[in-house]
Amino acid sequence: MNLLSQLNSPFLYLVCGGIIVFVAVICLVFAVRAYKAGKALGIDVGKMKRVITASATFAVLPSVGILLGVIALSGSLGTPWPWLRLSVIGALHYETQVAEAAAEAVGVGGLSIAGMTPEAFVTIALLMSFCIMWGMVLVIFHGKAYTRRLNSAPAPKKDAKKKKLDLSGFGDVAMTAMFIGLVSAYIGSYIGTIKAEGNWLPLAVAAISAVVMYLCLLFKEKKHADWIDSFSVAGSMLIAMTCAVFLGQLM
Amino acid sequence: MNDYEKYLASTHRLGRIFTTAVLILLLAAPFVIGGYLGAMPNLPAAMKAFLGVGLVYLISGIVEYLIYVPMLGAGGSYLAFITGNLINMKIPCAINARDIVGVKSGTPENEIIATLSIATSSLVTILVLAAGVILMIPLQPVLQSPTLQPAFENVVPALFGAMACKYYRMNRPVALVTLAFMTLLFILVPGLIGSTSMMVIPSGALAIGLAFLLFRRQKKGGVQ
Repeated sequence: MNLLSQLNSPFLYLVCGGIIVFVAVICLVFAVRAYKAGKALGIDVGKMKRVITASATFAVLPSVGILLGVIALSGSLGTPWPWLRLSVIGALHYETQVAEAAAEAVGVGGLSIAGMTPEAFVTIALLMSFCIMWGMVLVIFHGKAYTRRLNSAPAPKKDAKKKKLDLSGFGDVAMTAMFIGLVSAYIGSYIGTIKAEGNWLPLAVAAISAVVMYLCLLFKEKKHADWIDSFSVAGSMLIAMTCAVFLGQLM
Repeated sequence: MNDYEKYLASTHRLGRIFTTAVLILLLAAPFVIGGYLGAMPNLPAAMKAFLGVGLVYLISGIVEYLIYVPMLGAGGSYLAFITGNLINMKIPCAINARDIVGVKSGTPENEIIATLSIATSSLVTILVLAAGVILMIPLQPVLQSPTLQPAFENVVPALFGAMACKYYRMNRPVALVTLAFMTLLFILVPGLIGSTSMMVIPSGALAIGLAFLLFRRQKKGGVQ
């Protein structure tokens, strides 16, 4: 049996599939608890159902992209391990970079099944797990204290003479700004990519997605069609990605 | 202790137990697989590779933790760090859900909505990947077709385009200045393009700083 056959063997599917099932159970436990707690808190059940529908819709397209990441890695690492890594904790761009670096460090040159050995594979697998565990480690040891600190905002001092700035409401403004910062870093990098590499496709795709999103928002505002919220982001992405296929042929 | 506080306390307890269990399973899996393959990890090589790329992810992990936990709440954070894909799915998904039902960050409603959103999106990903893995063999030629590659290589730009439209409308001055600054930075220092995830830190700091200045000016204007 060659190495790729071993990496695609039922044993590996059992190990990786078992962990994925365990994580799925965790998600279900948290979802059921949150739903019950939401009802107890008096949150509208209809709103919670909308959140579930919108989140499920939202997740389909990125999930297909992640699936393609599994396919991309399956040629060199077999299918079960990338399936595990991208179902749990990982993200394609992280996993690919770490796997490539690990492959170079163990001396197999790069991420390819041609030079892969069992030792190289398990070293790559360990490094993929080790490098991307810090969020989990922090949330285990510091999550409770951190969320408590965030929730216990200091009481406002009512000192009229000092006329201190009232910061109530800044939390949401800051959160929106944080997201603007996040988006701007990526959009800025797409513009920079045009100058650096002459690749305009990422910016074109982002622009098309933004235009479609704008039309969705316009439709929602003009027609009071709140339902479109559940599909606007995923729909914008799908249309922009479809355009990418045609634009890609022009490059 | 009221019902919500009890819920939060048990969320932290369960979250710690589950996260620790998943972490142990993920670290143990390479050794279990190694036992099956008849080889163990080369630890010196793993350390060398860690020093090369792992340190970047250590810093990135700390930053992600500090930035995203306030958005996700307790339950959402445990789930998001277990299931991953934060930037390309969990964070936008949670914020989208929050916007749809109109809850404020830091509230009990936000805690519930974020948890529901992340649990749902994680389950969808698990199901899509499981279905995809089963169907992979017959679908592989279609999915790996060079014609379709531009679409799947541009999932992230498609996502950020849509989100940019949504969020830039909320605070245009901040968006304009931040985007102009980041664009200039990437044009002048193209080497930073490969570290875009790290550049979220100065970009976010700039946007929050500008938002604070505008917020302060508006508040002062309101007082006068």
